[in-house]
Amino acid sequence: MASNEFVIPERYEDLTPAPQVDQKTLNRMALRSYWLQSSFNYETMQSGGWLFAMIPGLEKVHTNKKDLAASMYHNLDFINTHPFLVTFVMGIVLALEQNKVDTQTIRAVRISAASPLGGIGDALFWLTLVPITAGITSNMAIEGNLAAPFIFLIIFNIAQAACRFGLMNWAYKVGTSAIDSLTANMQAFTRAASILGVFVVGALTVTMGSTQINLSIPNGSTRGLSAQTVVVSNDEAENFADLAIDTETADAGTLGMTDMEGNALTAADADGNAVETGITDLGNGMSSVTYATVTETPVSYSVASTLDSVLPKLVPLALVLLLYFLFAKKNFTPIKGIVLLFIIGILGALPLGEWIPGMSWYTGIW
Amino acid sequence: MDVNIVQIVLIFIVTFIAAIDQYDFLESLYQPIVTGAVVGAILGDLNTGLVVGGTYQLMTIGNMPIGGAQPPNAVIGGIMAAIFACTLDGVDTNAAVALAMPFALLGQYGVTLFFTLRAPLLEFFRGCAENADTKGITKWTIVSECILGLLFALIVTLFFIGGQAFGQQVVDAIPEWVNNGLSAAGNMMKFVGFAILLKVMMNRDMWGFFFMGFGLALIASNVEAIAGPALLILTLIGFGIAFWDFQQQTELKGAISDGGDFSDGI
Repeated sequence: MASNEFVIPERYEDLTPAPQVDQKTLNRMALRSYWLQSSFNYETMQSGGWLFAMIPGLEKVHTNKKDLAASMYHNLDFINTHPFLVTFVMGIVLALEQNKVDTQTIRAVRISAASPLGGIGDALFWLTLVPITAGITSNMAIEGNLAAPFIFLIIFNIAQAACRFGLMNWAYKVGTSAIDSLTANMQAFTRAASILGVFVVGALTVTMGSTQINLSIPNGSTRGLSAQTVVVSNDEAENFADLAIDTETADAGTLGMTDMEGNALTAADADGNAVETGITDLGNGMSSVTYATVTETPVSYSVASTLDSVLPKLVPLALVLLLYFLFAKKNFTPIKGIVLLFIIGILGALPLGEWIPGMSWYTGIW
Repeated sequence: MDVNIVQIVLIFIVTFIAAIDQYDFLESLYQPIVTGAVVGAILGDLNTGLVVGGTYQLMTIGNMPIGGAQPPNAVIGGIMAAIFACTLDGVDTNAAVALAMPFALLGQYGVTLFFTLRAPLLEFFRGCAENADTKGITKWTIVSECILGLLFALIVTLFFIGGQAFGQQVVDAIPEWVNNGLSAAGNMMKFVGFAILLKVMMNRDMWGFFFMGFGLALIASNVEAIAGPALLILTLIGFGIAFWDFQQQTELKGAISDGGDFSDGI
């Protein structure tokens, strides 16, 4: 492991565009793309497998060893895309590498092309192809048909191979033919690609960031009156008539008909509608009495809903900005960032409520 | 039911392959519809394995690894369901699937933890990249895969031998708050990747585009009809903005060079 962080040059040393990569190499890349997630982790997601898949092509286009090292290093950037569609991104990136485009441009194009494919791939494969094929074949399996697993494997893998090999070739062709017009305006193109890149990272912060502070703090209680209606004899109704209470101080559960000045109370019935207390003579010796009960409900203050009312996804945004600040201004390495998040995660989960008397409401903030 | 050493070894190998296949290679061999039949054949009851595999598969439809979320692990769940159905007396295929669920959940936790702990492995990849060592990348890719495969294979084989009580003990031994903390940390790991990307692409006049992406994503992800393909829609919008900026920049440049350049004789 290197003690100092490797510095990726802005541009390659050898800026001569490399000759077209042959079909055999493209096929090798498509085959290696089957191992895209071989080093999947939560820091850079598929980056290790991505580099593994790119290597046959990178070796062909970077004959300068220093350039190959720089290219391999920046190809370890965070990437998360759909495994079956990844060769589309690979073809585009290979075309850029072949033409020795600025490293920053390649990195921006890679993340911008890769991220949206995740959603498309999920929709195509996990939400369409798998449910249909697996749905049909698992019913066959439940009936004991041995062909079921084989039919499932054949359909699924034909679709997968068609995507991987087809997209690899098509994207490489598109990438190389469009590259001339792009290199003429490289600076503007880099800028445009970076704009799309930061735009997508902003969007990813929302769509993939689910960290939230799930903490609610007890905050006293609120008093209210709930209305009940009973039918009693007129004699008994008399007993209700002079039940005066002070709604501000009476204990929860106290019954009342009027306040201290003798005015009728307004209370909420079971449906939440406001009704007035009072006695109605039903005319048959019975009365309908609507009386009020003092209620007391505990109130808690939810940190999450307050944060959401300021700005939803505030916590993911704050964490991204904090890490950006540490990486860009404080020379934090990624490992330090990871350790920091571990510490935040564990500290946030500490069961302080179990350890400190009187804090039983606290169960961690995650 | 008594199991012999050959069956234990075969279960180990099948789990090893399925564990790797769930994220790489054919990404279909690991599906319960396949592993159920294979485990059934190993344990001498192909038909039961086939039926339990189909039952488990139906349950997992719609419970796929979408958008980086980890569903209950189908490798451990599918294999354990088949093992229960084939080895335990008086357990039908549906009960076997239900019995396997705690194991699938354990697998889900394990995978989240593993993906979090695997991040430091990237340092070896970076070390190889600095020296343009392409063989080294292959080596670490194989190492990385073998760790995953062995981990799953060991756990499932232990469950296979030790049975269901053992699994419950393991789950109970981890304090819940540690689990919560680790999964919260794992959930936040992606922000490291985002921040590094920002560091690469960001300069001072681009913050506006970052916040525009953030704001539009908040809107899109809260509109039910477009929340699913939100990222694709947002990318289209982002593409439009970037393309417009590209045209602005190149037109500006074209105007300057047209005005100042007389040497081409026009």
